Amino acid sequence: MRWIAETKRPKPEEAAGSALSGPSVAEAVGEASEIRRIEATAAAESALHAGEEAKRLEVPAETGERRQPKLHVRTAEPAERTTHDAAAEVAGLRLKFPGVPDLLFRDLSLSIRQGEKVLLLGPSGCGKSTLLQVLGGVIPRVTEVPLKADRLKVPDSAGMVFQDPDTQFCMPYVDEELAFVLENLAVPREDMRARIEAALLEVGLHLPDIHMPIGSLSQGMKQRLALASVLLLEPDTLLLDEPSALLDPEGRRAIWAAVRRVSEQRTVIVVEHRIDEVLDWMDRVIVFRGDGSVLADGPAAEVFRLYRAELREYGIWYPGAWEDALAVGRGDAARPEAAGAPELPAGAAASAASCPASAAPHGTSENAAVSEKPHPANRASKQPPVARGAFSEPLLRLENFRVLRGGRAVCAVDRAAVMPGDLIALTGPNGAGKSSLLLGLMGLLPRQGECRFGTDDPAGRREERQAAAKHAAFVFQNPEFQFVTDRVLDEVAFTLRGEAAAAAQAGEDSGRRGAAARLLARWSPREKRRRARLAAQAEPEIARRAADCLARFGLGGYEDRHPYLLSLGQKRRLSVASSVVTNKPLLLLDEPTFGQDARNAFAMLRLCDELRAAGHAILMITHEPEIAELLATQVWQIEDGRLKSASPTGRSRSDGIRLREEATAR
Amino acid sequence: MNGFFAPARRTALHRANPALKLTLFVGLFILTMLTHTIDASFYLACVFLLLLFAASGYPLWKTALLVSGFALAFASASLTMILFGKGSEIWWTFGPIAISKESFYRGLHLGFRSIAFGCQGLLFVLTTTSTGLFYALMQRFKLGPKYAYSFMASIRLLPMTVEELRVRRDALAVRGGGGFTPFGALLRLPERYALPLLAQSIRRAQRTAAAMEVKRFDARSRRTYYYSSPVTAADAAAWLLLAAAAAAAFWLAGTLPVFGLGDMRTGL
Repeated sequence: MRWIAETKRPKPEEAAGSALSGPSVAEAVGEASEIRRIEATAAAESALHAGEEAKRLEVPAETGERRQPKLHVRTAEPAERTTHDAAAEVAGLRLKFPGVPDLLFRDLSLSIRQGEKVLLLGPSGCGKSTLLQVLGGVIPRVTEVPLKADRLKVPDSAGMVFQDPDTQFCMPYVDEELAFVLENLAVPREDMRARIEAALLEVGLHLPDIHMPIGSLSQGMKQRLALASVLLLEPDTLLLDEPSALLDPEGRRAIWAAVRRVSEQRTVIVVEHRIDEVLDWMDRVIVFRGDGSVLADGPAAEVFRLYRAELREYGIWYPGAWEDALAVGRGDAARPEAAGAPELPAGAAASAASCPASAAPHGTSENAAVSEKPHPANRASKQPPVARGAFSEPLLRLENFRVLRGGRAVCAVDRAAVMPGDLIALTGPNGAGKSSLLLGLMGLLPRQGECRFGTDDPAGRREERQAAAKHAAFVFQNPEFQFVTDRVLDEVAFTLRGEAAAAAQAGEDSGRRGAAARLLARWSPREKRRRARLAAQAEPEIARRAADCLARFGLGGYEDRHPYLLSLGQKRRLSVASSVVTNKPLLLLDEPTFGQDARNAFAMLRLCDELRAAGHAILMITHEPEIAELLATQVWQIEDGRLKSASPTGRSRSDGIRLREEATAR
Repeated sequence: MNGFFAPARRTALHRANPALKLTLFVGLFILTMLTHTIDASFYLACVFLLLLFAASGYPLWKTALLVSGFALAFASASLTMILFGKGSEIWWTFGPIAISKESFYRGLHLGFRSIAFGCQGLLFVLTTTSTGLFYALMQRFKLGPKYAYSFMASIRLLPMTVEELRVRRDALAVRGGGGFTPFGALLRLPERYALPLLAQSIRRAQRTAAAMEVKRFDARSRRTYYYSSPVTAADAAAWLLLAAAAAAAFWLAGTLPVFGLGDMRTGL
């Protein structure tokens, strides 16, 4: 069997691109959605044939390479052997996305038996999700991607659950959404209700009323609803594309329990980065290399025993990923900053949290000298009080602090303080007020009570916001929302220019008296020229600092890219880089590791730990228990709109960096 | 938002078939548009205002809140005509402004008609759910399921975009001005909001479309409907109610004229 998908020009992307007079949107959208269409049929065809040519030439080399890897528990099924009970099968699959020079798969052959539970693993971008969509018949039936295969057998009926809980529904209510599936199958109206209720029970969703707005469900419940809706298709094969990646631990457990319950008689193919919950019931694990070829294929236990290093490299959250990522005291003690640090949080240094001065490390005295006398010229920029431990002045002090939304207190803090060197994990159930607390600290929501950054005590909404912006950086969950330029370097330079302008303004305004005089002076041509000159002088310095900062965050070499074209991990790092480049002492993060693979998550956490060890303070919303247990110096538990407890974990503020360096991200 | 737009009680207009109701209201719009005497437009405005309070099924204060916007519609529709309209019997002039008898009454006429339009539109919107309307249009008027479901899906995506707009505003506030002058920042405003919101919306729309097709949504195949769309006694009641309201307005205009003026298009 041999066929090439019909191709079309991408309509929505194109429209957006032309509306904005730039190719950036189209590219950005294409990149992120990972489902791209080719420009023209001719291009696609020639690309596939080019691939064929290449294959013919490379055959000996490729087969040689394929035998070489350490061990194949079971080599990929030879294309000739057709198994009668195969639920899904591909042979000689090759596929090409437009704009990408290489084929995604080079003659991939794979056969999945009826009733088999298969887990597909591999680094991001290796094509696991694409393969899943091919096996599920989505490509090329729904999404048109040019593809060629000697043989392609897709399941008779497949149900697919995707990653994002918010974009799998088209109707506003639970019953309507499930009915949508039944309508598609032309089920008579009278039978619908009973089947809807049965499906909800099957996935463990016990709703008081089936006519319930989908928007009122938690993310985990939405995923179970998505599972229920595909169960109504009565599929013999379930395909799951990272269904738990965007869920908190509780939602993860619930969705996997539901999948497990319904999967008994079915073939299940799973793509997932977090494998704790799936590992013990998978029959077979297939690991892909970055180029889309099969590295290993066999029973789970065996694959994990033999390919642990690869799994770590690919960023998979295997059981024990945390232990492997922790560096301290594991043959790494020679590192200077790790010397003398406690091995694990349960141990010593509990007293250090309450009395940071006692744990002062070397080299803080000169930093402290700078920071303890905040003279006016210094305060605006350059050197904010970034010193560790030695002085007991908190970076942030809250007293009877309340954040309001619509006039109602959504988060209340009686008393709390953040010291330099703190890494605080903000934990608590969804909707408890964690995000509101951070927004309130930044002055983005109205607030009451005392919130003192260092020595500043601002009064008035505008002043509060300015004081917050001076001392604290905030990294949102979706980094794209923070990008304001179309070049990675400019993104960091933007912050520096803003800082330089603010400093110039402050210096200039202090010399003049009335507001009117200031305004007049600001608009005078002479003044404009002077400012332009100043800005031009500062520019090389800004570019240098921005480039340094990018290098430090592992983004060197990407200076000229559009920020939207970075990978998710890189986007997160860029948004942190552009926030901390001006050396603000306090960093607020909203779930920085959410939805990330292990490699990117550990890179982000190491970055935070580095900043913390250098005397910054980090306040991080997280649902990961490991972050709270292993990395945090304090855990703030927020429940029902109130800070329930702020307890030190036993990790000292002067502790060195705990995470391994080599876990660098892509 | 959902809570605010939940009706407190259901009237015959709620129970009527949305597709047929739509044709009724289109008829009313045309009727209002073709009304050319100020008495008729005045009574149309009054009658439908009353009907809106009586039959929308919302508490008085909510209806009053929504109706308060009509004051603006009335003012904007009538003032331009009153102040700048042509006329022979001049009452007052000041520079380019000339209020004549004709322009004054024509202005009021326009204002009344805009209130009548507003009331009819609001009455339809408040008594109809979008889901119900699309189901009825699919079943009664053979609207393609492709269009109906894409509209319903996009309505679901709207609140997410609104939420993202808020997040983007906060994010921009955190990033600060970046050394731009206030005017320069203003120029970049549309681009700054459009790029991330559009990118995110397009991605979401595409994912939703893929999820719908995976659930075997096929525009060509035969389908059944979860909500039936029958024609019932409520439709007759709605038809009678609206027809009676319109007839009452015209009858009142004939028997109890307030202004007593002729066709507004030719002189008065």
